[in-house]
Amino acid sequence: MNGWIAFTKKEFMEQLRSYKALTLIAVLFLFGMASPLLAKMMPVIFSQMPVQGISITIPKPTILDAWVQFFKNMSQMGIIVVLLVFSGTLSREVTKGTLVLPISKGLSRNAVILSKYFASIISWTFSYALAGVTACGYTFYLFGRFSAPHLFFSLFCLWLFGAFLLAVIMLAGTVVSGNYGGLLLTAVVLAVMLAVNVFPRINKWNPVTLASDNSSLLLNAKTVGDLSAAVWTTFSLTVLCLILSLILFRKKKL
Amino acid sequence: MKNILPYLPFLIPIAVIQIALAVAALVHIFRHKNYRIGNRGLWVIVVVVFEILGPILYFTLGKGDD
Amino acid sequence: MEILKLDHIQKSFGKLSVIQDLSLTVSEHSLFGLIGKNGAGKTTAMKMVLGFLQPSRGEIRVCGEKVTYGKTQTNRSIGYLPDVPEFYGYMTPKEYLKLCGRIAGQKPEQIRKRTEELLTLVGLANVNRKIHGFSRGMKQRLGIAQALLSEPKLLICDEPTSALDPIGRKEILDILSLAGQQTAIVFSTHILSDVERICNQIGILDQGRLVLQGDISDIKSTYRPDTVRIELAGPSGVSVLAEKLQDFPFVSATEVKENAVTVRLAGVEKHGHKILELLVREQSPVLKYEVQESSLEDVFLEVVK
Repeated sequence: MNGWIAFTKKEFMEQLRSYKALTLIAVLFLFGMASPLLAKMMPVIFSQMPVQGISITIPKPTILDAWVQFFKNMSQMGIIVVLLVFSGTLSREVTKGTLVLPISKGLSRNAVILSKYFASIISWTFSYALAGVTACGYTFYLFGRFSAPHLFFSLFCLWLFGAFLLAVIMLAGTVVSGNYGGLLLTAVVLAVMLAVNVFPRINKWNPVTLASDNSSLLLNAKTVGDLSAAVWTTFSLTVLCLILSLILFRKKKL
Repeated sequence: MKNILPYLPFLIPIAVIQIALAVAALVHIFRHKNYRIGNRGLWVIVVVVFEILGPILYFTLGKGDD
Repeated sequence: MEILKLDHIQKSFGKLSVIQDLSLTVSEHSLFGLIGKNGAGKTTAMKMVLGFLQPSRGEIRVCGEKVTYGKTQTNRSIGYLPDVPEFYGYMTPKEYLKLCGRIAGQKPEQIRKRTEELLTLVGLANVNRKIHGFSRGMKQRLGIAQALLSEPKLLICDEPTSALDPIGRKEILDILSLAGQQTAIVFSTHILSDVERICNQIGILDQGRLVLQGDISDIKSTYRPDTVRIELAGPSGVSVLAEKLQDFPFVSATEVKENAVTVRLAGVEKHGHKILELLVREQSPVLKYEVQESSLEDVFLEVVK
């Protein structure tokens, strides 16, 4: 327990001093702010594009457009940034050998994994919440209101997907060695899930739906019930990934 | 000028973040000699030319390990 | 008391056998030098003691407690200094030692006190910079501080001096011999003079076997090939002298080089005066008469071959 607390503190210090926290917070905040703005400006942007002969009529943007933008940005660029920021957290230490001394001091290998996962999920939660609150604020500023149907559940789904991804990153770091191996493996896992999503019978369970169906939720095209299966599989897979990481890391050569 | 006014709540934070990221990245670049990818000149250019994206790329990919 | 005990350890990576039947014990207050060529299995042996590698066969005990691969309990009695210690570059030495102390479960005030003592011992007391700008030697010294932080019963150093310049080496050796007053040290190296300087016990590892183990002074005296070197004023008469020396029954070999002759013999204490008598009788112009002490290098070369 002592080791876990000490190592978690070290993780936070690392995130701050290696600018990981700064990067993540800045980027997610920008997405939170830019999404409602982009939605609001869409008609202006389109009207300034020279379109010959055709006149496009764009409906007046609504709050829903703002949130659709938010989820689009977050689930794509946001997730990529999370991947980039956290993908090396374990593998880099293994390659460099910085874990040798703490472990020789009696730090348990479980504590390494759990500290890293805990610290990364706290960062993700904090910066994501900040982005969400920012988006609420600016949506309110631009549209006069910010609430949308299933908004909170939708936000939760994407958060859970992020938490799942962080667990995948952790597992990838224990399986593959090298600086970019973990990143690559996580990307492959993501690609496979996206590919599998084509099959309608499976996609009910696919974690990817948590990041892709947010807009459908907002537009009332899907209900909370439609996504509950995916929520549970994602949660189970997250726990599974963590348990596997703990087991595999125990035998990892340092 | 009047058109800009409603957008000030956006422009100010963006500017602050842009500048903060760029300054942090430049300070880091000039304090360190080793980068995982590329060299000092390349990263200075990337950080200065590509706002926001440049510093992020530097911090996630270019920065050497401490 | 036995601090470290390796019992018939074997280790192979696939088909490559690195350690074959290694047994050794290190007792309290010993400064044990583990000597071996590169690739003799020193690092492998040490990593097994720390539970970083799994022995293919055999058992390791630290302070009586069995070492299990992948578990870290026994490491609490061990301080470990790898050949190239890697730190978190964004921390200062104090912050790093604090992290180590907290991991080892020490109390805050104890950590503060030890940190101060140790940083003074290794000469980093006033260094408040981040570690990423440290030189090799500074990192090695911080490595020792980190290893000694929790007052371990056993300090394991893997080639602590091989990456350093002569000054850095001397500093590390001095610190280690100071530390050796309080804890048992196992110290691997291929630099024999380092071992001679600080160790009181040695083990020589060759091709995964411990070919020799014991007290350094005992070993040196048992392996001592008695040698006398006689230097004359000029090269004339040297070979004649060598021939006459060869006639003694106790002389096994002579070697002439310019104006000196080196004599190998059995029992220099017993027969030495006969050589001196010969020199007087022949009225040889002796510049130097020297009984050479065997060095660890001789012993090493003899047992490793």
